[in-house]
Amino acid sequence: MKDFAYVRPKNLVEALSFLHEYGHDTKIIAGGTDVVVDLRAGVIKPEYLLDVSRLAELKGIQLRSDGLWVGAGVTLSEIFSSEVLECHAPALKKCAATFASKQIRNVATIGGNVAHCSPCADTIPPLVIHDADVVLASINGIRQLPLEHVVSGPYTCALPDQEIIMGFILKPAAVTHADFQKIGRRKALATARISMSYMARKDFRGKISFFRFSLGACTPTPRQWPMVEELLAGKVPTENLIWKAARLLSEKMIEITGRRSSTVYKEPAIQGLFVKMLYPMV
Amino acid sequence: MDKAYRTIGKSILRTDAVDKVKGLAAFSADIDLSSPPLVLKVFRSGIPHAKIIKIHTEKALAIEGVLRVFTAKDIPGKNLLGIINKDQPLLAADKVRSAADAVALVAAETEEAALKALDAISVEYEKLPAVFSPEDAMAADAPLIHPKGNQLAARFVKKGDVEAIFQQCASVIERTYRTSMVEHNYLEPDAGIGYLDVDGTLVIYASTQNPHYDHKEIVTLLGVPDDKVRIIQATTGGGFGSKLDLNTQGFIGLALYHLKRAVRCVYTREEAYLATAKRHPLTIHMKTGADATGRLRALRAKIICDTGAYGSYGIAVMSRAAVHATGPYAFEAIDVESLCIYTNNPFCGAMRGFGTPQIAFAHESQIDLHAEDLKIDPLQIRLLNALRPGSETATGQVLTHSVGISQCIEAIRPYYESAISQWATAEHHPYKKRGIGVGAMWYGIGNTGVQNPSTARVEMDLSGAVTLYTGCADIGQGSTTILTQILAETLGLSPEQINVVAADTQFTTNAGATSASRQTYISGNAVKDAADKLSDVLRTEAVNKLRVSKKSLVFADGCVAVATNHEKCVDLASLAKRIHAKGAPLVWQGYFDPETVPLSPTDGQGIPYGTYAFACQMAQVVVDVLTGEITVERIVAAHDVGKAIHPENVKGQICGGTAMGIGFALMEEFKPGETKSMKDYVLPTSMDMPEVIPIIIESHEPSGPFGAKGVGEPALIPTAPAILNAISRALNQRIYTLPANLERVLDASIQSGHFAGRKK
Amino acid sequence: MDQHRVTITFTLNGKSVTMDVPGAMNALTLIRERLKLKGTKEGCGIGECGACTILVEGRAVNACLMLAAQLDGRDVQTVEGLAHEEGLSLLQESFVKHHAVQCGFCTPGLLMSAKALLAENPCPDKAAIAQAISGNICRCTGYQQIFDSIRHATGAPTGEEKT
Ligand SMILES: Cc1cc2nc3c(=O)[nH]c(=O)nc-3n(C[C@H](O)[C@H](O)[C@H](O)COP(=O)(O)OP(=O)(O)OC[C@H]3O[C@@H](n4cnc5c(N)ncnc54)[C@H](O)[C@@H]3O)c2cc1C
Ligand code: FES
Ligand code: FES
Repeated sequence: MKDFAYVRPKNLVEALSFLHEYGHDTKIIAGGTDVVVDLRAGVIKPEYLLDVSRLAELKGIQLRSDGLWVGAGVTLSEIFSSEVLECHAPALKKCAATFASKQIRNVATIGGNVAHCSPCADTIPPLVIHDADVVLASINGIRQLPLEHVVSGPYTCALPDQEIIMGFILKPAAVTHADFQKIGRRKALATARISMSYMARKDFRGKISFFRFSLGACTPTPRQWPMVEELLAGKVPTENLIWKAARLLSEKMIEITGRRSSTVYKEPAIQGLFVKMLYPMV
Repeated sequence: MDKAYRTIGKSILRTDAVDKVKGLAAFSADIDLSSPPLVLKVFRSGIPHAKIIKIHTEKALAIEGVLRVFTAKDIPGKNLLGIINKDQPLLAADKVRSAADAVALVAAETEEAALKALDAISVEYEKLPAVFSPEDAMAADAPLIHPKGNQLAARFVKKGDVEAIFQQCASVIERTYRTSMVEHNYLEPDAGIGYLDVDGTLVIYASTQNPHYDHKEIVTLLGVPDDKVRIIQATTGGGFGSKLDLNTQGFIGLALYHLKRAVRCVYTREEAYLATAKRHPLTIHMKTGADATGRLRALRAKIICDTGAYGSYGIAVMSRAAVHATGPYAFEAIDVESLCIYTNNPFCGAMRGFGTPQIAFAHESQIDLHAEDLKIDPLQIRLLNALRPGSETATGQVLTHSVGISQCIEAIRPYYESAISQWATAEHHPYKKRGIGVGAMWYGIGNTGVQNPSTARVEMDLSGAVTLYTGCADIGQGSTTILTQILAETLGLSPEQINVVAADTQFTTNAGATSASRQTYISGNAVKDAADKLSDVLRTEAVNKLRVSKKSLVFADGCVAVATNHEKCVDLASLAKRIHAKGAPLVWQGYFDPETVPLSPTDGQGIPYGTYAFACQMAQVVVDVLTGEITVERIVAAHDVGKAIHPENVKGQICGGTAMGIGFALMEEFKPGETKSMKDYVLPTSMDMPEVIPIIIESHEPSGPFGAKGVGEPALIPTAPAILNAISRALNQRIYTLPANLERVLDASIQSGHFAGRKK
Repeated sequence: MDQHRVTITFTLNGKSVTMDVPGAMNALTLIRERLKLKGTKEGCGIGECGACTILVEGRAVNACLMLAAQLDGRDVQTVEGLAHEEGLSLLQESFVKHHAVQCGFCTPGLLMSAKALLAENPCPDKAAIAQAISGNICRCTGYQQIFDSIRHATGAPTGEEKT
């Protein structure tokens, strides 16, 4: 591991001024569960490590006037035990249940998960269904960007060096159904082969009046799936309908990624996982 | 009967557990010396096959804190290692045969300096064409990996006229099975530390399964007298076969020899992955025939073992796979050819079961296929064909006793029947399929048809205190506890009263490797032999004192007493003093080597093992037909161990073996070049474990200590076959390649029409 | 100030410790090499095995993924802090008694995960235990005797006695 300096700012302003000056040579560290692995492998070689894990400004889960606030420094354990999320973003809470291990969840943050931009990041599909905006801070002020603009490529984050993710604003939704599902090679400590998340409302006639869906670990960057949502909207969810939507989803996925060796599995498995996830709606 | 025993059959507390729960047990990386040891790091080739033209070490040597960079030239003795065949240099001299081959060894004051030195070393190579599959390696124009050719060895087992019998069979099944390369992933990465004793002895503490073998190899490597090297097994964090090879020990020996300063070598997990042995991937073509009643009659198999760049235990794997190809069933005719082939892959060596887990996947799939073909119940067909006393094995050995396979099968029957009648039919998710599968196995205890003796020494001092000296390495399986129990029982002591000196070549004699499930049976017998001899002199002496016949004397609470009247007794201390005064010995050496007959090189006939362990397991498996995910809900595991000297240890082996079996069945696959750290290798977590119900079957083995055989490897062997058979029952579609991972299971689900998306 | 070194103060097994550490040092190296507490192990160095599990503010974390500097101001417990003067803790006793220890390399980490679990949930069922220790790989035991040990560690009745 290369030698680097460790800096722990007392507050956000101190952090932002440090980044303003040294951002180019700095790596932000929160829970460290990606950063320390990358340091060991020699994938990153920063001069400075800026520890944001104790910044109070990055904490908290609250329902605010502008939406549901989840601080970037919130850990997966905090997400897992949040009653606010249980109520307003149940799929996000659910993704914390199968995330890594207890030890990792105790320190890993949602901000780190998003900023690392792994296509397999578990919090991203639930954030996408809530139309999450990323709240970014720099010495010049605060701005808000849609998540899809920040996660710009596999392991590449569109964030300038001087900026910090403060947190996320989610659109809370009152839904009758919500879930997060992932397929891994084992039942814990598993990277997602495929993950997906949805939330929906069934109206009094049994029709789907609201439906949001997102897919993880399949496309290079997170995206919306309007055609799948449109297909289901206003319809009574039958097994047949769900299969139809599932096939449309896998078709669209292949349109994006092309056929690769992993498609042999992913094409049917996406359909399968989709059906499995939506089956309770039938 | 157990009532009669004082400690045998009791789950006493393990001798090492308290230190381990306190975090005080010293593994090799934990041992502190008075001054910090030098750090050793190994420079590895990084290319699979090449001639070495020149090694440049100057830049590395110029780095501050770097003391020496060793290459093959610095090895004073024989630079060739290997327990069965010697083909692996400690440091490559003229060519490298795998990307992991060690080329140079750095000794430095600090870790940082050592790592910088690795970066500064460069090697000029002349690249050679490389082969990564046995098929390619066997091609006529394949590049030669070793001078004698790419086929390291072959084993044939032949009996009767296979073809003639196939003609008469009602059911003939022929299939090809493939298994993956597997990483042992013992939790403690290899490590060792060495220093120079006051008298110039090179003392090496190492994480090892076989200190006496290490000793022999290092003495030869350095060309020094036997008494100049002392190997002590440090607390060892698992081995599963991979710590039978010389991993860090040779490097430590070489550096100590030259530098005469304390050195430490600790592999990172990444290096342990790269540089240590793997489980052999096998390709098995198997054809079996059964008559209309389901009786198995003939078997033909061709087995190909990819041993990678070096032999290690490859020949043992090849032989054991061949000998065990029938499974625990009687056949009239067999024709097995098993080949061990060099490639430029990572070298493969011993791993829990030596080829038996692989071959069991084949024979257990075959017998299930016959059962399906002939519409016979899977449990019934196994019972019908099970070996029993009087049966003749493939190698012509007639089994006389302790053949507990039928009892194992019967023991799981109640679970099997209730699983079929209740669990399988209980209402469940429409996209989940349930399956029940059975797997059986047999396993010869000890090495195959070769001598593999063990020795032990038992000493009594004048106070009557007893010390056991054993070369046997306890790598976590609990052998020290077992051997202590055997000794304590023989001398009527409680286990805590016995001192143990284990696995220290200065004080102990060779107990052979902790492998092949042999330590309870073979070293246990050696200890028993020594203890019996001491017991005999003690009782002989007691006759004088108690004035009754030797036959009527027993050991009781630190005394020799008259069996019918324990009041009449004499304590061990007085006996020891009297024996000593007469000049008779209080130190006894024990010895045991199972009775075997070497296998014939042409037809493999002979007596490969003194005894066999047997087992049958049942798996209840839920298949998610939409995603290919598998949940193993329950494993019932019946194991015939002869006699469970320590039942909880036996259960621990069964549960641990089952976990490894689940990994082998469903997820584990080491991909050379891709699998670099634990992030890239999936092995079972606590969440992947089903309920395991261990059942101990005790079919007394007369030649075993108190009737015991072994369980270490058997524990793992039937699990994967049981799971694969269960998947096949659930889906009506069989998988022939391990692991049955997401991709293969989902594919089977689609093929079988269960994946509804394809049908609609 | 040399930013490559950081002065940190933290509580280790109940005692306050102050020291200078390199910024790049991880907590595992600090504990093992500087503080010479060798009970905490390195099995992978990347959060995949749990052998390095310690408690920070009572929560289980992987010491290999935490920087030494991040311990500043924290309460830290390692396996060495489990036993008390009179002897082993109930949890340690239970591991010994239920034969949960084979090679023992995973044991310290498992004990720490189990301790954190029992502090949160004194009567965990098997599923809760499996969840809590899923970041601790044990290659030897197959976890079953570990489940038993943890379940019986509080001395509370469990209703499902095993032989
Ligand atoms: C064993 C193991 C298992 C894992 N399993 C999973 C899993 O199941 N699912 C999953 O999704 N991930 C998993 N991960 C990956 C990792 O734990 C997550 O991505 C985690 O959320 C990262 O958060 P962190 O706080 O540890 O980030 P860090 O490692 O501290 O940082 C990650 C990245 O985010 C940047 N960053 C952090 N905070 C901010 C901020 N506030 N503003 C701007 N940039 C920031 C860092 O500079 C860095 O680039 C696993 C990792 C390990 C080691
Ligand atoms: S060493 Fe930290 S998790 Fe493996
Ligand atoms: S006891 Fe060996 S890894 Fe757990």
